[in-house]
Parts: sequence; C-alpha cells; structure tokens
Amino acid sequence: MDKSVFALEDVYFSYLGKFPALCGITMQVQKGSRVAVIGANGTGKSTLLSLLDGLSFPDRGTLYAFGEQLSERMAGDDDFWRLFRRKVGFVFQNPDIQLFCPSVREDIVFGPLQMGVSPAEINKRLESLCAVFGIAGLLERQPHQLSIGEKKKVAIASVLAIEPEVLLLDEPTAGLDPQTSREIVDILFKEHEKGTTIVTATHDLHIIEEIADAVHVIGGQKRIIRSGPAEQVLADQAFLQENNLIHTHSHRHKDTVHTHPHTHCDHHQPR
Amino acid sequence: MRNNSSRFIERSITGALSFLRNSVFADDIALQKGYLQARDPRIRAAGIGVLLLAVLFARSALFLSSAYLLCLLLAAASSIHTMFFLKRTWLFIPAFAFFIAIPALFNFFTPGEPLISLGHGVSITEQGLHGAVIFFTRVLTSVSLAVLLSLTTRHSVLLRVLRIFKIPQVFVMTLGMSYRYIYLFIETVQNTFTAIKSRVGHVSSVRKGQRAVAWNIASLWLRSYQLQNQIFSAMLSRGYTGEALILYEFRAGAKDFFWLGVTIAVFVFGLWTNRYLH
Repeated sequence: MDKSVFALEDVYFSYLGKFPALCGITMQVQKGSRVAVIGANGTGKSTLLSLLDGLSFPDRGTLYAFGEQLSERMAGDDDFWRLFRRKVGFVFQNPDIQLFCPSVREDIVFGPLQMGVSPAEINKRLESLCAVFGIAGLLERQPHQLSIGEKKKVAIASVLAIEPEVLLLDEPTAGLDPQTSREIVDILFKEHEKGTTIVTATHDLHIIEEIADAVHVIGGQKRIIRSGPAEQVLADQAFLQENNLIHTHSHRHKDTVHTHPHTHCDHHQPR
Repeated sequence: MRNNSSRFIERSITGALSFLRNSVFADDIALQKGYLQARDPRIRAAGIGVLLLAVLFARSALFLSSAYLLCLLLAAASSIHTMFFLKRTWLFIPAFAFFIAIPALFNFFTPGEPLISLGHGVSITEQGLHGAVIFFTRVLTSVSLAVLLSLTTRHSVLLRVLRIFKIPQVFVMTLGMSYRYIYLFIETVQNTFTAIKSRVGHVSSVRKGQRAVAWNIASLWLRSYQLQNQIFSAMLSRGYTGEALILYEFRAGAKDFFWLGVTIAVFVFGLWTNRYLH
C-alpha cells in the first residue's frame, strides 16, 4: 500500500510566468512523517507549501497528493477538493491573513462549518482546542485585538479544528517569544503522536529537531540541495553557513569573547 | 505654519485611528450587563427595527419626543452613560438635520399661520415649526436607535444577525472583512508615517506632507491588493467554496419576546397617534 501523501517530481513554478520561485523540486512526504523544509528568505518555501495545499499548480513537473495529480485540470472537481480540504490544513505565515473573521470563535469554527461538520461536533472541537491552546478567554475577541503569539495560536487552532491528516505550517514560530514558541512545538508534537503528517517550512533551526525527522534544504537556486535526517543536516555547520541558515557570531561570555557559527539551539554552549 | 501642517496630517491619522478604535471596534459597552445586552441579539435587532419603523411612520411631535425619551431610558438601562450617548447621537447627523430644517421654519418655504413675525414680511409659521420639529426629532430618534443597537451589540454578532435577516451574504461578508482589515491598514499608515518622522524628524512642509500621504495611499492600495489574494487563498484552504456558512447560537426567552411585544405596542400606538394626535 502506497503511504505517500505528497510526491513531487521536477516541479517548477514561477510568478506571472517570469519570476521563478521553484526550479525542479523533487521530494516525497510519507504518511505520518514529520518533514521540515528549510532555506533562507526568498528560496520558495512558502510557495512550495502553497503548491502542496493546492492553492497554486506547478508550471512544469508533477505533484501528486494522495495518489491524485494536482493540476489546473482538477480545478472543477468539487468532490476531490472537498475531500482534499478535509485532509490538508495550512497555517499561513501571517496570522492576519489566516484570521479573516470578525471574532476568534468564528475563525476557529469557519473551516469545519464549510466542510459540513455538525454544530455539536464543532462545539466539541472548539472546547477541546480552547483547552489545548488556553484560548477560551479570547473567543469573543476580534483578531486585531490579539497579540502576535495569541494570533498564531488561534491561527493554528483554526486549522486543527478541521482535524486534518496533513498539517502544513509556514514559519509557525517566527517572531514569537520563547514560551509561546515552546507551547506551539509541544502542540505539534502531540499532533504528530495522533498520526498527523506535519510539513513545516522554517528557518528557525532551533525547533527543527523537535518538529521534524527529515529535512529538505532549499538553496538560492530554488531547488532542494540536500535532504536527510534532521540531526545529520543540522550537524553540517559549513553547509548551513554557506546557505545563509546560520551566521558567524561573536559575543562575550564573562571575560571571554569568542566567535562561532550561530544557531539558537547551541549558542550558549561555548566552544 | 510648517509645524502646524505636519501636525495636521499626524493628527488626522491618529484621530482616524482613535475614532475607529472607539466607535467601530469598541466592544466594552456591548460586553457590559444591561437591559438591551441581555436580550437575544436577533430579537433586540428586530425590536429596534420595529421602533425605527414606528418613528418613520409617526407624524406626531409628541410621539416622536416620547420615543426619544424611551431611547434615553433604554440607554440608561443598558449601562450607557447619558453624556456619552448624547455626544454620540447629537453630533453630525442630527446637527446637520437641524440646519437643514431651519429654512422650513419660514413662511417663504412653508406658508401658514404666522407664529413669530420677523418684519419685512418674513415670519416663522406654525406649520413650518411643526414640520421642522417633526423632521428633527425623527432624525434624532432614528440615529439614537441605530446607535443604541450598535453600542449594545458586538460587531461580530451584529453581522451574524444581519445574515439571519437575509441580508445578502456577499454584502455581510464584505462588510465584516472591511471592518476586520481597515484597522490593519490604518495602523500600517500610522506606522509608515511614524517611520517617515523617525527618519526626517518631521514632515517639513505641506507639499512634503501631501506627497507622504499620496505615497501612503498608493502603497496601501498595492498592499490591499496583495492581501486580498492571500486572504482568498486562506479561505479556500479552509474549505470556502463561495458560500460562507455561519454558526448561529442564539437563544430567545420570554423576556426577549416581552421586549418585542413592547416595541410592537409602541409601533401600534404610533399609528394611533397619527390619527388622533396629529
């Protein structure tokens, strides 16, 4: 039985037909796996997630999701997309895009409502998500009244309300304080334990080992330049530095100034 | 003069933001305990609608004045500070209505029995005064009722209620999203203006100020265009297919129907006064 959720073969994508965003991406995502796509700014990580969510289609190459090829030709197949949307949830990088309803409550229930989930089941999910994210007190608030951390939590909750089999996350911890970042990582960990496939695009290297088993690195040429187990990819400091994922950093520890490649996960372990 | 022009632009932006914060987005009154807040939002809106109809059909100044007093009582019973309510309702529309009504007082617009003679053949007529009072009190009471509803109902709930009353979905959704994002855009404008100030100290002339505003408008248009594409993608991603569904969780009780009954009685009484008190 094929356990592949996504299979991409030599995928190209460009904006307006002239600004290349992805140039020959080949990768697979297996059911129940945790995959991180890392790369510097502008390497096409968000575009790749958008393709995986069926919001854009490849210019060239093939992209299979659950064994069906995603292409412009599928656009009119309502039954397929209804099923696809139930299976795949996408957390956008900017929560202000994700939270378009007048209140937090409406944002969280928006997805399941559109998918025909019964009101009783929706309320059950809402209650459970409020407990997990600690957002019960925010339900009647308007999204613009929330802090960035609260917005991010609500954005993730609004997607988890769909109970997707696959969770796509675009920079889930960018700009968050360590506590909120930790809470989100813990939630993703629990989601994976339930069997959810998780694909995360990020350049926050300090969370990768916790949220991903496999890592794909997209380089400046907008193609995958390395794939492998997270610890193996992250161990190659020279490679990461070459691809703008870490930088050389000088700082003082008591009376000693020292310089080393800087990743947030290790920068307080002087070498 | 230069500093004044700079401050004028800054004040306008800050003022717009503060107005939106205080009027459109302020939910504090709607979240307080009060008579109207305790009513089911659908019945509350229906009741206010019935009162509005009563005011629109009324031709008796006494009835309209009584209806306005009822508004003030409802505001007080709904934890709305009277001075705050008066400020919100007397500004703009009733004030304009008052100036519009002034010419109708005089005999060359409304001929009739002279009440006060101003000399040179000009006089205020009884019919003119009656017409002006009816017009002004009708506008004032209508505005007060609308403000009562908006102050005692959270914006998101109000939008859900509009959908219940079969207002087209596209209209309600556009309205909701406009409210949702206008704040974001105004904040963006304010931040941009602060960024300009932090780099150049202050906007040094009217022309430079105008250029900064024009640049802001253009940049904002581009951002809103980008944002609309992204929001549509976010909606599609969560299953939107062109008809957004909304979860209704309203429950009406005996007290709600009593409120509706009272408003209907006021409406009927209004029609009766048209016949007997005109």
